[in-house]
Amino acid sequence: MRYESQRIAWWFFATCMLLFSLQIVYGFIMGFAHAGYDVLHDVIPFHTARATHTNLLVMWLLVGFMGAAYYIVPEECERELMWPWLAKVQLGAFVAVGVTAIAGYHANWWEGRKFLEIPRPLDFLVVVDVLAFIANIGATVWRGRRMTTTAMVLFFGLLMAALLYLPGMIPTTNQTVDSYWRWWVVHLWVEGVWELIMGAILSFLLIKLTGVDREVIEKWLYIIVGFTFLSGILGTGHHYYYIGTPRYWLMVGGIFSALEPVAFLGMAIYAIAMARRGGRAHPNRMALQWSVGCAVLSFVGAGFLGFAHTLPQVNMYTHGTLVTAMHGHMAFWGAYAMIVLAMIAYTLPMLTGRSLHDSTASSFAFWTSNIGMIAMTLAFAVAGVTQVVLERRLGMDFLTVQREIEVHFWGLILAASLFTLGIGAFVWVFIRSGMPVGRVEPGSPSAEPAAPPLDAEAQHA
Amino acid sequence: MLSKSQARAFFLIGTGLCAVAFIGLTVDTFSRIPAQTKHDDITEEVKRGKDLWESNNCMGCHTLFGEGAYYAPELTKVYERRGEQFIRGMLTDPAAMYPGERKMQKYDFSEDDKTALVAFFKWAGGVDLNGFPPTPPLAQGTAQTAKLDTQPLVFKQTCTVCHALDGQGGTVGPSLDGVGTRLDADYLRKWLRDPTNVKPGTKMPKLPLTDAQIEELVTFLGSKR
Ligand code: HEC
Ligand code: HEC
Ligand code: HEM
Ligand code: HEM
Ligand SMILES: [Fe+2]
Repeated sequence: MRYESQRIAWWFFATCMLLFSLQIVYGFIMGFAHAGYDVLHDVIPFHTARATHTNLLVMWLLVGFMGAAYYIVPEECERELMWPWLAKVQLGAFVAVGVTAIAGYHANWWEGRKFLEIPRPLDFLVVVDVLAFIANIGATVWRGRRMTTTAMVLFFGLLMAALLYLPGMIPTTNQTVDSYWRWWVVHLWVEGVWELIMGAILSFLLIKLTGVDREVIEKWLYIIVGFTFLSGILGTGHHYYYIGTPRYWLMVGGIFSALEPVAFLGMAIYAIAMARRGGRAHPNRMALQWSVGCAVLSFVGAGFLGFAHTLPQVNMYTHGTLVTAMHGHMAFWGAYAMIVLAMIAYTLPMLTGRSLHDSTASSFAFWTSNIGMIAMTLAFAVAGVTQVVLERRLGMDFLTVQREIEVHFWGLILAASLFTLGIGAFVWVFIRSGMPVGRVEPGSPSAEPAAPPLDAEAQHA
Repeated sequence: MLSKSQARAFFLIGTGLCAVAFIGLTVDTFSRIPAQTKHDDITEEVKRGKDLWESNNCMGCHTLFGEGAYYAPELTKVYERRGEQFIRGMLTDPAAMYPGERKMQKYDFSEDDKTALVAFFKWAGGVDLNGFPPTPPLAQGTAQTAKLDTQPLVFKQTCTVCHALDGQGGTVGPSLDGVGTRLDADYLRKWLRDPTNVKPGTKMPKLPLTDAQIEELVTFLGSKR
């Protein structure tokens, strides 16, 4: 860490830890409801729990991306952040809007459009807030001493993410049109521009952690995000099969979305190859584990499990069943939750001056949360496939089938408990590391104690 | 091997071409949506129904067009499946319509609100979804389908929610197989007019049935021996 303003990232990451923990609580509420114990129905009915669960997820991931950007951009562009005070104001405002929205969900104030439940007046505040963030990052990149590919890809990913929020606000009276625009936000985010953000963060981490040449890493970054857009843009069609849009989307969506796993496979191979190639070992092995784990599990969750239900012939039967929930969990975890956690694992020693990456708690956090999430995915998979066979293929009544699969939700709750233990350990390490302190040494690649100067790119530049 | 600038060119050209194609398809799609979704049938009532659907986040439990949550039934074809009276019942007191089942939110809707939501479901059921929701390919053979066709509409829409007949239907009430041997026409008539009159505290609700419907049901049930 070389710049004072990078320290702001800590506040973003602390917010992530808080929101993530809360998200898990709401996940359990839904898990128990599915298992037949909807005991909180009068206080937190299912739809409230669901909107809160998914919105907290999106919120902490966005806060994590912002924190990552505030850390990465000064380092890549070799200058302090343009307006550090704005970053703090902008975080505070973002959290305030988020908390208002979530309180609203508990009082029947929302928009009732999956993932975009935030009420319209708050949408505008989100846009203003994100624009302030983009301006801060953009100005820093613009006035920076160098423009790296990693910084540019990150910046454009964030900018496009902000712009793509807008189609979700187009008013319409037709449910089909409503859905059409909703996917411009949801799909083009997770299978488009967020992958740019993920790819850029991954590149940054690999450059720092493996010591492989920046030119090589950034070349592959271009190829991978190239594949992302080549397949992902027209791949939006896999949401236009059965919502009242023309039949040709079955073709277009089927073909292009079937190619989407290529980008994720590329990401996985690239991360593993770079980790192998990097001769010198960075002391923070945990951060490398999270980075490579992210690339691998994003392929499993998004690539493999996405492909499993993306062909129109399959999707006809799985559309809107628990099979989708199976894919949603593993994909969000592998691709986006893990990249944010990787970034936290990497930056924490530098931000706080305490290195706990060799502790048992750190490696317990990694293994337990990942094994827990894989088990959760399996529980959703069994429940989902059973639902598809009984309800969609055999024509059994919805509620009868739900009673049949209640048992798998006890499996889910068990797996989720394991997962929660892992996340508990991660949060524990975060807390133990303490507040951001220590001295920034201008020109030194890292303020981490006991870290030898092994920043490959430092010699490069 | 590709150089970095070639890699960048691949990225920029690929993205550009796909974005242009996507926007082109979007324009074409918007020219076809009105016909495919019967846009002219979207009356003021349907619009209000959509607003209520959104402002109450029904999608937080249900799916419509297969989109939403996986906690409650898919509602695209609910108008055809259950009919207006039953839907109004759900929007008045869901626990009465599905006693002892998974909980739906109870709402304070006015009669106009209910009419609007019913109109919205009626419109949604008419949209051409390219074959979704699918007819279950492995459902018990054609003999079963033929039997369903002899059932009066009101029976198919309402009574099967709670009762099974020939192995199809809900499990809230007893199966109605052979009910004609157990109960006579007079009892059935009285029962269907108001179950609570016959058996106070019963879980079967008083359903809004016309006299003609009751007669049709009595004849139909009487034949189930
Ligand atoms: C808290 C979850 C929840 C919310 C919110 C909810 N429902 Fe339901 N709904 C259910 C459940 C569960 C069922 C299945 C029957 C039962 O168990 O009560 C159901 C059943 C129905 C049915 C009957 C379906 C059938 O096939 O018999 C209709 C119609 C319906 N809901 C309409 C609505 C409308 C309209 C809204 C929004 C105004 C809504 N629901 C909001 C949970 C919910
Ligand atoms: C909301 C659920 C529900 C609906 C809808 C419903 N029933 Fe029932 N029905 C019940 C329950 C529960 C019982 C058992 C009542 C008891 O014994 O207290 C019952 C009992 C009966 C019985 C007596 C059965 C016996 O063997 O004693 C008949 C006949 C009957 N229902 C016919 C109908 C018909 C016809 C319809 C459609 C118009 C209908 N029910 C709709 C729940 C329902
Ligand atoms: C990291 C990337 C991804 C994430 C976070 C993700 C997440 C999700 C989520 C949350 C949904 C449910 C959306 C909703 O119903 O509102 C969904 C649906 C879907 N995803 Fe993904 N996904 C990713 C990548 C992919 C890929 C690469 C594919 C295809 C190969 C894919 C195929 C699908 C399909 C077909 C659906 C629709 C399911 C249905 O019809 O119900 N996803 N995804
Ligand atoms: C650890 C405890 C967790 C439990 C018990 C849990 C449980 C659930 C349940 C029951 C649903 C609702 C499915 C439905 O509509 O019926 C859901 C939705 C969802 N959860 Fe979780 N969850 C947990 C953690 C997570 C995590 C860590 C993530 C992200 C990384 C996540 C992402 C999602 C997403 C994206 C959806 C929406 C899925 C869709 O619409 O297809 N959840 N969760
Ligand atoms: Fe998608």
